[in-house]
Formats: sequence, C-alpha cells, structure tokens
Amino acid sequence: MPLLQVENLQVTFTVDKKPVPVVRDLSYTLPAGKVLAVVGESGSGKTIHALSLLGLLPPGASVRRGDAVFQRKHLLALNENQLRTVRGQQIAMIFQDPAASLNPVLTVGEQLVETLRAHRSLSKKEAWKEAITLLEKVGIAQAEKRVHEYPFQFSGGMCQRVMIAMALALSPDILIADEPTTALDVTIQAQIIRLIKELQQHSQMSVIFITHNLALASQVADTVLVLYGGLCMESAPADELFLRPLHPYTQGLLESLASVQTRPERLPAIAGQPPVAGEILLGCPFAPRCAYATDKCRQELPPLTKNGAHEVRCWREVVK
Amino acid sequence: MTARVEIKNLYKTYTRRKWFFGAGESVPVLKDVSLTLPENRVLGLVGESGCGKSTLCKVLLGIEEPTSGTVLVNGQDVTDKSSGARKQRCRAMQAVFQDPYSSLDPRMTVRQLLSEPLTIHGLYPNKTSRETFLKELLTSVGLSESYLGRYPHEFSGGQRQRICIARALALDPQILVADEPVSALDVSVQAQILNLLRDIKSARKLSMIFVTHDFAVARFLCDDIAVMYQGRIVEAASADELFSRPLHPYTKTLLAAVPQVGRPLAASLAQTVGDVSGVSAGCAFAPRCAQAAQLCRQQEPIFKAAAPDHFCACVQLTQGETK
Repeated sequence: MPLLQVENLQVTFTVDKKPVPVVRDLSYTLPAGKVLAVVGESGSGKTIHALSLLGLLPPGASVRRGDAVFQRKHLLALNENQLRTVRGQQIAMIFQDPAASLNPVLTVGEQLVETLRAHRSLSKKEAWKEAITLLEKVGIAQAEKRVHEYPFQFSGGMCQRVMIAMALALSPDILIADEPTTALDVTIQAQIIRLIKELQQHSQMSVIFITHNLALASQVADTVLVLYGGLCMESAPADELFLRPLHPYTQGLLESLASVQTRPERLPAIAGQPPVAGEILLGCPFAPRCAYATDKCRQELPPLTKNGAHEVRCWREVVK
Repeated sequence: MTARVEIKNLYKTYTRRKWFFGAGESVPVLKDVSLTLPENRVLGLVGESGCGKSTLCKVLLGIEEPTSGTVLVNGQDVTDKSSGARKQRCRAMQAVFQDPYSSLDPRMTVRQLLSEPLTIHGLYPNKTSRETFLKELLTSVGLSESYLGRYPHEFSGGQRQRICIARALALDPQILVADEPVSALDVSVQAQILNLLRDIKSARKLSMIFVTHDFAVARFLCDDIAVMYQGRIVEAASADELFSRPLHPYTKTLLAAVPQVGRPLAASLAQTVGDVSGVSAGCAFAPRCAQAAQLCRQQEPIFKAAAPDHFCACVQLTQGETK
C-alpha cells in the first residue's frame, strides 16, 4: 500500500465569485521511501497542490474535489486540530526562500527548540541538545556555537540547512520540498540536494520534490510528474521519462535546455507562453504551443492514458 | 579591432555601517578587475551571487562610481559626468536587467516606454516615422505591433523581457549589458529569449556583456567567458577553450555543479562557506578548494596566462614560474 495516495484532486481559486481551477484532476501515489518530483512552470499548480495536502491553502483557494489518503487518514477532510498532528510530525514542508521562512528575531536554536517542544515532551535541556544534534546532522560546523546565532548570520545555503533540520526534527514520513534550491547558487544547490537525498535514504523518508528544473529532477527523483496548466501531462519512472518522453511538452522542455557540453546554433525553443494560472481552455492546455496540435486537441481534453507505469495525457498516444 | 569596453585595474568598495552612527567599514566588492570587450563579441561574466558581477555592470553603466581604476566605454571614461558625454554613452550602451516585472513602469504603455529614450535623444521627432520605427522595433523582438497601446501588466514574463530588450535596442546601441536576463523567466520561455539575444547580436553587430550564474546559458551565448569569485576574475578565456579545458578549480567545481539530464549529482564542495570577507592572505577560494596547499593560503595568486589566450589566477598552475 502506498504511503500517500492522491486521487482526482481539484483545487480552485475564487475569482470574481467564479471558481477558477488551478489543480485539475490530479492523481498519483507516493510509495514509502521514494522521491517524487513534481515538475512545472509558474502557475502550473505545483505548489498549490502541495499546500492543499497540508491544509495550508491561501484565502480564496479551496479543494473542490478529490481525496488524499495518508496512513488511512483522509487528509483533505481533517479539521484544524487533526491537521496539526500531521503537519510537521508526519508531513513536513520546506520552502523556496529559506531566509523568509525563519523568524529573524529568534535565534536558530530557539526556533528549533520551539518546534521540538511543541511536538515532543522534552525538557528544555534535552531540546537544546537535540537541536545541536540536528544542526550537526545537516552539516553545520560548530553547531554548539551557531545554534545561538540569528538567521541573518547564516548564508542562504545555511538557512536552508536549518529549515531542513527543522523539518527533520520530528522525523516525518514525508518531506515536501518546494523549490528548495531555487534561491541558491549552483554549488550550494548540489550540496543541499545531496543532503536531502542522503537523509532520505538514511531514514527511508518519502520526498515530494517540487521544481521547475527538469535536469535537477532527473538527478534526484525516482518518479517524475510533469504538470502544465494544472493538469498532469506525463508521469513515469525517472529513467523511463528522460529516455522516452512521450508528451510534446516534456519533449520540448528537454530539447530546449541549454547544455554545457554542446553549443547548438539555436535552441529548439517551445513557441508561445505558458498559460496564465486559471486560464481555462476547452481542449489540451498545451495545444496553443504544440507543433502536433489538431482540431481535436483544441476542443477536447485528452485523457490520461496508461502504459505500464508511464502515464501521458496526449491524443497522439490515445490513438496508438 | 577596437575595444568597445576597456576596464583596467578596477576596484570598488562599499561602506557598511554596523549601526546607524557607527564608523564605516569598507567591504571590497571588486578587486583589480581588468577586462576588454572587443567589437561584435559576447563576453560572459559567470559567478555565484555576491561575486561582484552585477556591481561590475553598475559601474560600467555609471550607476556606481568606481573606487579606483579606469573604465572606458568606446574610449570614453565613465566617470565623465558632463551631460553630453553621458548622453553619448547611453546611446552607445544600453542595459537589460534580470526582473522584467520591476524594469517596466506599470503606468506607461509600451509606446511610451519605447519612445522615452527616443524623445530624450531627439530621434524620430516626426510622429509617423516614429510610429513606423516603433512597430519595426517591436516586430524585431518577436512581438506583435498591435501591442504598442498596451500596459506591462497585460504581458507575461517572457513578453516583458522582450519589451525590455526592445527598449534597450531603441537607440541602436553598440553595446548591450544584460544582467541575468533569463533567470527570472519560465524554463519553456528561456530558450526563446536566448535565441532572440543571439539573433539580434548577429543582426546588429552588437557587443554584449552577459552576466549569468548558469554555465549552460553562457555556453550557448558567449564568445568569451570571465569567471568571477569574490570580486576577482579568476579565469578568462574564449568559451570554446574554457569549456574544453577549464583550469581553475573553482571553474571546474561550477561546471560540475550544473545539473544536467543523464549526469549524476555533483560531488559536494567543501563545506566552509561562512563569511569569507575577513580572509586576508592567500587565495580567496582556498578555504573551499580541494587542491589547496600551504602556498595557497599564504600567497595571493597572480592573474596571468596559463596557456595562449587563457588566463587564470591559481598559485598551483603558475607555480614554479618566475613572478
């Protein structure tokens, strides 16, 4: 049985009293101890879907339909009190901008201790000791000294390490990492990704890794799910997806990536612009940019077809 | 071949106060930077955040004053603040910035945004000829001429960046300074803008300074590359040379860290990444360098030729040679 099973999730924003879907009919399973990468551009619904799982949706957004089963609990039906036991303890989340996620007027240690004592019955002394151990675990040198420092004394990469320490403080079953390295430099990015991967393998935790970077997803994920316009366009085991991408959007994205190895005359770019969040087209949301689009694509939304573990939403694959 | 931009021994120091009335403490952000941008070439400045690449652009554009050293644009000193000289420089050199959302005044239409530089420089005073020019300009960056009456909020990030590029091209400059022009854009749009920059570069014989932290992007667009680390240029060579034979350990680390499909995760860099501004002696990269030896922590490396047309500042590479 999978650790987390999301079924037909639909999240809508209310704009001018009208519901505007931002996540449409999203289903996936997350097995224990695996990494799922959710890849998408801004407005694809990748972050909103994660927030909906933890009941953290911003005002104006609501779950319209769907179910998310985690350890026999229906996440989307839980009340605030029940959610509180899930958040942090069982599903933890780290965000894109680590500096903005930490309280600037509390030391790093105080924030860690607060988290630890809120969920576990530890004495102050034990909690501080635990905080130092956690900082050491995420690779912060001189942890006994640095635990008393404030977030502004830490670099971006160090802040993200603190966030990871905080997320791991309660040994969650699932870690949701929302673009954890987008605000960081490439060399620091490699460190943080490696750290997440090591901790994940060590503690058999599952990770939902949200990113816009396909190359990064290829390096960390077991399974990759590609979102576009709030819809799952393609999902497959990582090896399979990068070897045989089936959806024109995935293919286009992979081809358009610049590489350090080669220097082509032109990058094969995808024409057009990604859809604005909530803009609803009748047919496939990618049709206006797709080289293979037919009238059918523009009028009718293709279903998600399954071929083994490889799922794709494209009329070309339905016909086959 | 004439140099469009020539920078010699440029230093830039910011003053930071610990508290409001406190004494200033100087923070060097550019140290002894020298580089040349020849005609019709794209020079890539690559480095991590805080390495001084954006400050270098600001000095070049006259937004910041150099602390010492000379910066010549078309042979003219950028510290020359007389209005005639400034105007001349603005005409020759224009900029495109990272964030297309904050670079465009939300209350101006595309027509107003694009005509402002023309009005300032007294170009196309005739209304019909200006309108024709603006339409041509907009089409040349891949936008429909019907967009002239629209406001920035009606456009997506990629389209806004195209408007920014059009505005920079309005004066038909010889030099374009592009500071991370694609890093704020969606992945599926980045390739479009990179292609556009490459097209206008060859169509207009532009020289370009292209700032980026992404080696893959630099590989595609740049002819020459200068790698910066903590305010210094640590390696400079033609792009082909640099990518086939990177010499500086920092360049190698950066190259290895670029995520690529089908390549395993890069090995971690040494973890000491704390505040390094206090480190005085030796190579600035030594605390993070896997190959650092005793000498690296004592002796400041000299930036010099390690191979023909390939410059590098690393003690290990130039060791044994006479100073």
